[in-house]
Amino acid sequence: MAPADAGTLELVQGAVVEQIFQSKIQRLESVSVQFGNYYRENHGTITVELLRMDTWELIMSQDFNASEVREVTALTVTAETPAESVYDVPLLLRVYADSAAGDAVTPLRFSGADGEKEKEEGFALYLNEEPAEGRLCFSAEGEDYIWTGLHYWEFSAVLGMALILLCLVVYSRYRRGKRSYVVNALIAVKKYRFLIRQLVSRDFKTKYKRSILGVFWSFLNPLLMMLVQYFVFSTIFRNDVQNFAVYLLIGVVMFNFFTESCGMTLSSILGNAGLITKVYMPKYIYPLTRTLSSLVNLLISLIPLIIVCLATGVQFQKSAILALYFFACLVVFCLGLGMLLSTSMVFFRDTQFLWNVLSMMWMYATPIFYPEKILPENLRFVLQVNPIYYFLKNARLCILNGISPEPIAYFQCLLIALGMLLVGAFVFYRNQNKFVLYL
Amino acid sequence: MSRTMIEVNDVTMRFHMNTDKILSLKEFITRSLRGKIRYEDFTALDHVSFQVKKGETLGLIGRNGAGKSTMLKVISGILKPTEGSVATYGNVVPMLELGSGFDLDLNGRENIFLNGAILGYSEAFLKEKYSEIVEFSELGQFIEVPIRNYSSGMMARLAFSIASVVVPEILIVDEILSVGDASFQEKSRARMMELMGGGTTVLFVSHSLEQIREMCTRVIWLEQGHVRMMGSTDEVCNAYSA
Repeated sequence: MAPADAGTLELVQGAVVEQIFQSKIQRLESVSVQFGNYYRENHGTITVELLRMDTWELIMSQDFNASEVREVTALTVTAETPAESVYDVPLLLRVYADSAAGDAVTPLRFSGADGEKEKEEGFALYLNEEPAEGRLCFSAEGEDYIWTGLHYWEFSAVLGMALILLCLVVYSRYRRGKRSYVVNALIAVKKYRFLIRQLVSRDFKTKYKRSILGVFWSFLNPLLMMLVQYFVFSTIFRNDVQNFAVYLLIGVVMFNFFTESCGMTLSSILGNAGLITKVYMPKYIYPLTRTLSSLVNLLISLIPLIIVCLATGVQFQKSAILALYFFACLVVFCLGLGMLLSTSMVFFRDTQFLWNVLSMMWMYATPIFYPEKILPENLRFVLQVNPIYYFLKNARLCILNGISPEPIAYFQCLLIALGMLLVGAFVFYRNQNKFVLYL
Repeated sequence: MSRTMIEVNDVTMRFHMNTDKILSLKEFITRSLRGKIRYEDFTALDHVSFQVKKGETLGLIGRNGAGKSTMLKVISGILKPTEGSVATYGNVVPMLELGSGFDLDLNGRENIFLNGAILGYSEAFLKEKYSEIVEFSELGQFIEVPIRNYSSGMMARLAFSIASVVVPEILIVDEILSVGDASFQEKSRARMMELMGGGTTVLFVSHSLEQIREMCTRVIWLEQGHVRMMGSTDEVCNAYSA
């Protein structure tokens, strides 16, 4: 609603204010018009109507008591059933009353608008059927259809069909004795499941072997980090993020996982040099187990997240389950990046020092403890090229706002994660036979 | 005709020997700018081919640096040959070094499962053989103690017990391992002989011609990556010791 800077007509009996407009709203629900009362109490009945100009059908109409209008009051007409198919149709908003002169209200007008532009957009104001400058102070509200929301079932059906088709293709190839990557991966997972489990449980057992609190640290660590940052960023640097504790903790948990898993995977080949030169096993097992070990930590650190959610009164919403999807994307992303880093580490030991610097830069480039709004416009691109930001943003949306992000976000995150995994796995695969020569 | 278990086809293993290993990016860039990266190729194995049939015990002899250990690593899959190919039919158990992947912080029991998994044993197999391993290692109640507190003899006994519990189809041995005190040495040697004698295909590297003569049905003599001689045990051993 544009700010009013003038009145239109005193709405006495017989006076009519008409505003023609077009909207891009798909389900029009209500229209509001602002009135002024000349700082007096007025009487009579005001009628606000909305017609569509192609069929002259009355879409909505409502009467109001003029005595209820104060200076700048918005009267809202709500349709009983939202008007559909008025998208881009010229609409006529008509206001009239039956009051006597000196006892009538006035719809407010915004006259500062650019006249030429108004006409192009299909706006026109008529006072007693005479064209007038400016625009009525009004607003229209409604809902838009989201394409995927409307076609939800078609969408799921197509995805499901594609998945079933993929399974059938893989299965028939398997039956005909051809090996595909999917089958090979499944066979490898089955074959090396025991080994992977042993290695992961080794990592986990030895990590806390000689500490008093043991596994409890996995739980305590993110919580303490969050508390420190919460103190710093809610008292020293103030901000207006709602549910800041949870906002922060989601960031801390996700970014902690990122740095921990990448840092551990980085040294997975070098650190296992003793094994690689003595025993044969597929080399991808080393980065994979390190990532899985960090995953165990991530799962444990979800417990404090849930507790803080409950303690700060963030309602559990069904959409919080969707956040797991983005956590999974993060894990896949980390595995890919880790494979890349561990390969690089074998050939250039500088990688670890570069990575320390890089991960610190990455931390500041990710809105963990600051709201993303505080970034100036010319630095926004930092977020756009930061993959972690996408995972983080969507996970927060699911947990804090209780809504699912738009479908394209799922696709984006999947693409980022799988892209990283493919790059990492490709580089790893091409170089893995050379590892043993450089250890 | 018995089945072929190991097939080595024209295997060449070449190492890049940089004058010194370049392990940092800076070094790599400055040196390649100055054109100072020189590789010297070192050929550890040069077009080696042979086959081992089921039940055979093949001995590998040669001086230090002749390529014996490289050959074993290529066959067990640790090294990928630069040229040629190796095919093995059956489960390979390389006894190159014992106790790979032991974790000092874990106790004996946990290490049995960890090391067993690394050697490629299945979970069911390990559970079934667990008491046998513990018994053979004579560790008794020490099995629940973190192995950082083990003596080196105890560690070797545990490692040997895990490695030798499996009856492999293809056994790769780098010197007969006899570990621990005198009585355990006798026991482990007997176990080795039992493993090697029981119809298993064995690839055996040793510097002791005595052992080679005792065990092997066929011998390959490697010299500087080439097969110098291949034939029956007596023939090759006589030529080698001459």
